[in-house]
Amino acid sequence: MNYPTAFDVIVIGGGHAGVEAALASARVGASTLLLTQAIETIGQMSCNPAIGGIGKSHLVREIDALGGAMAIAADQAGIHFRTLNNSKGPAVRATRAQADRVLYRNAIRQAVERQPNLTVFQDMMVDLTIKSDRVVSVTSRLGLEIAGGTVVLTTGTFLGGRIYIGEEQHAGGRAGDSASVELSEKLRELPLSAGRLKTGTPPRIDGNTVDFSKLEAQPGDDPRPVMSFLSSPELHPQQVNCHITHTNVQTHDVIRRGLDRSPMFTGEIEGVGPRYCPSIEDKIVRFADRDQHQIFVEPEGLQTTELYPNGISTSLPFDIQFEAVRTIRGFEDALITRPGYAIEYDFFDPRGLMPSLETKNIENLFFAGQINGTTGYEEAAAQGLVAGLNAARKAAGQSAWVPQRHEAYIGVLIDDLTTMGANEPYRMFTSRAEYRLRLRQDNADLRLTPVGRELGLVTGDRYKVFSARRDRLEKCNSVLAGTTIHLNSDLARKLSKASGEAISKDVSLLDFAKRPGVRAEHLTASGVFSGRDESHLVQALIDVKYHGYLRRQDQAIERSRAQLGVELPRDMEYEGIDGLSNELREKLARVRPATLGKASNIPGMTPAALSLLSVHAKRHSGIRKTA
Amino acid sequence: MSETICAVATPPGRGGIGIVRISGPASQEVAQVLLGQVPPPRIATLVDFRTDEGETLDSGIALYFPSPASYTGEDVLELQGHGSPVALDRVVGYILEQGVRMANPGEFTERAFRNDKLDLAQAEAVADLIASGSAEAARAATRSLAGEFSRCVHELDRKILTLRIYVESAIDFAEEEVDFLGDQEQVDQLVAMQKLLERLIERSTAGLTMQLGMDVAIAGDPNVGKSSLLNQLLGEDRAIVTATAGTTRDTLHGELSLDGLPVRLTDTAGLRKSDDPIEVIGMKRAEAALEVADCVLWVVDDADENGSPPKEYQAKSLVVRNKCDLTGKTPGGLGDDTFRTCALTGAGLDELCEHLKQIAGFRTGIDAFAGRPRHIDSLKRARGALASAVDELSTRQGELVAENLRVAHECLGEIVGATTSDDLLGEIFATFCIGK
Repeated sequence: MNYPTAFDVIVIGGGHAGVEAALASARVGASTLLLTQAIETIGQMSCNPAIGGIGKSHLVREIDALGGAMAIAADQAGIHFRTLNNSKGPAVRATRAQADRVLYRNAIRQAVERQPNLTVFQDMMVDLTIKSDRVVSVTSRLGLEIAGGTVVLTTGTFLGGRIYIGEEQHAGGRAGDSASVELSEKLRELPLSAGRLKTGTPPRIDGNTVDFSKLEAQPGDDPRPVMSFLSSPELHPQQVNCHITHTNVQTHDVIRRGLDRSPMFTGEIEGVGPRYCPSIEDKIVRFADRDQHQIFVEPEGLQTTELYPNGISTSLPFDIQFEAVRTIRGFEDALITRPGYAIEYDFFDPRGLMPSLETKNIENLFFAGQINGTTGYEEAAAQGLVAGLNAARKAAGQSAWVPQRHEAYIGVLIDDLTTMGANEPYRMFTSRAEYRLRLRQDNADLRLTPVGRELGLVTGDRYKVFSARRDRLEKCNSVLAGTTIHLNSDLARKLSKASGEAISKDVSLLDFAKRPGVRAEHLTASGVFSGRDESHLVQALIDVKYHGYLRRQDQAIERSRAQLGVELPRDMEYEGIDGLSNELREKLARVRPATLGKASNIPGMTPAALSLLSVHAKRHSGIRKTA
Repeated sequence: MSETICAVATPPGRGGIGIVRISGPASQEVAQVLLGQVPPPRIATLVDFRTDEGETLDSGIALYFPSPASYTGEDVLELQGHGSPVALDRVVGYILEQGVRMANPGEFTERAFRNDKLDLAQAEAVADLIASGSAEAARAATRSLAGEFSRCVHELDRKILTLRIYVESAIDFAEEEVDFLGDQEQVDQLVAMQKLLERLIERSTAGLTMQLGMDVAIAGDPNVGKSSLLNQLLGEDRAIVTATAGTTRDTLHGELSLDGLPVRLTDTAGLRKSDDPIEVIGMKRAEAALEVADCVLWVVDDADENGSPPKEYQAKSLVVRNKCDLTGKTPGGLGDDTFRTCALTGAGLDELCEHLKQIAGFRTGIDAFAGRPRHIDSLKRARGALASAVDELSTRQGELVAENLRVAHECLGEIVGATTSDDLLGEIFATFCIGK
């Protein structure tokens, strides 16, 4: 049976990748279907109840700058906000929100339901039809065949998902949800390179059985940060505390006793887990000298007492989990509401993707989220947005848009995935971004909202707010550049007094502002700027302080644009290039980077090897022209 | 499949032994045709080198090194015959008829590098070894070849990586229970790295100096003893010396080695007004020589009160007050870049030569590397970045310390291969228990 209408874009999955994909596709005007197993779990946070974090909130702000839903939903659902790295420079400052799961889900569902051009349908996809290497339709469990111009697959941990708790194991996509087993088998028949990854969650705790007086309370920050460029703290619901406790020697003893029944150590689980998010048993084995590990006790929501003990993700047998939890300070009488578990699932080597996130081997088929080997809501949502946008553009016959590494963390994410692949679940860190000083939370809108507007991702309302902010910022910049502080003038005295900085000769306000000791409030105190300008001035001063570094990076970007933009032919014969090491030759042949710039990201690459490649690329194109 | 290449491995000219080296997949075939056998691996075998028509071209020792245990990593055949150029030409000519081609300069080394027999720095050192003119430079090249330069850069690279583990962890894992380094500890590590780097630059620059040597021009008024100075320095009668002013009309060249430092001397025509067309041409050449010289020896008669070099060359000039045998004054260094000499007896020249070596950056007792300009440039940029890192530490800007360390690391990566952010994260996860 055919679904009555065809769609430009069909998005499979209603998680963080699927939602942003469907919303982006619909925003740019494509008729879009969101096909999900369960409408109730659209926007479900399967793992920890938090959005953001260092590197991750950078992605959230970029998604927001491009009109995505994640940041606003986090503001609507956030019950505890913190600015991380507050003592460090603005480039590495980040925001994290503990979110009420129910509020978050509701906010996302509302965004989906309010989105024009977007249809939601509840059924499970079981097959897809491919004609001459091109996907044309998907089939649901009901037997409905749905035709689509392009298809975005966001299967999360559902694809061939397998749940492990001690020696127990069963198929499942998430505790309580069934896995997509049939689809997994179908996809494995396609010319895509499949692999297995694993991740895990901790046991959840009944808050009524916890002695909070023994835990260290961690309040949210004041003033409270927000996620979205459009939000203010008034949007936030009631705020609550998080708590901190630790494992101890007894906990570790109990866990060691259970290792022989841990699927991680018995070899049951083959999938590779993330090194930065190890299970508690992993931490105890690998860092045996540590006699305690920190646990963040996070509230699951305002309407529930359930707690998420972040830091003790485990797949140990339930009896060990139970005993181990009770050795922890404050948890002496605790009851587990749901056991922790490990989940193993299918992913496909993201090097099989073009930067648009369309698969190289099957036209019109796009992948986003954990299916590409990433982990995290933010990473998934970022890919979803790019895949949804490009699926809609492809369906409309337009070329793909992908941000570059110097433009956005989203660009770093996609470039890393499509050139380096994923040896373990990929998570964003600021250290992955070589242009970290320019890819900041504070300027995500300046970097991306104008292009988002051009692409149709950004609505008029958002753009208006953005334009007003940009105008004020530009005014600040022109005052900074156009004002001279004359020696012994009234202004010089005021600035000197406010900042404690000596002014010994005529100096431009801009140069004065570059001094490390000069802050925005010193400039407003002197009357050059009004107090109303302070937030914009703070932002303007970030670029002023980083000026030397940003200029040097500009030059590096310019250089690499010229040099590294050189295209490497898809059929380049790396075997025949004299002077490359065998190791590099193998890597190049495997990755087949599209440009010299992409090749430069390959580990072990040297300038000498790059210049060899550029010479051969030229020679190659010469040969092809004469052939 | 790569081509098989061939070249004469011994220096050109008539020598006792002439070695022909063949590398590539056709080496076995060549052996079969030319020797009638493939010699057993790595065993010196005495054979005739013959054409397939039975004509003997030469006879000597053949050595066969099957891949990968050879210099290039490919099948290599080495033929040690008689050194006569005619015999060598015949052998090589016949080999080339077998579909083998002449190797490009450095191609054997390049192949060795390509087959992971050498790293990039080592391969470049081999190239320097081949090109280097002096024994000191050859020693420096040997040290790099043995991987010492690589080892030193790797050591520094590792130290930067270790510090970056802490600096980056403090940023990306601020919430985790990782050990953070105090500012003082970071400064200490940075200062230690700066010292290592400084020493590396010094050693590489010394090696580069040994290869490049220096150009020294001898100039001054006519008849002050310039040509005598040239002859005395070279230890031979290169220039005609007479008492007649303007005897030297053209520039004369000679090379000498100051403890291994190659010095190219140019004796110029005395600078004076002249209508003689030949002398005018000579003076034009003299000026050109002065312009390119690293150092100018401005010779004056010790009897003259003054006599300073032309302003444009002053900065790179040494004043040589010659003919001190006539003034009776004591030869030697006078300070202020001035020396008193007697070119005829050689008095005072030791001090002068010692000073030339200093100017060139020649250092005794330093284990020089065969530095390449490219390496030195990378090392100097790393030095700049480390200095900025120290500055930023004083303003407590962690992300800027990190940025400078990243740049420094990138510079070293240009020499020993890049460390990616993923490599760095891998090190962090191996060092710290990260993760909630």
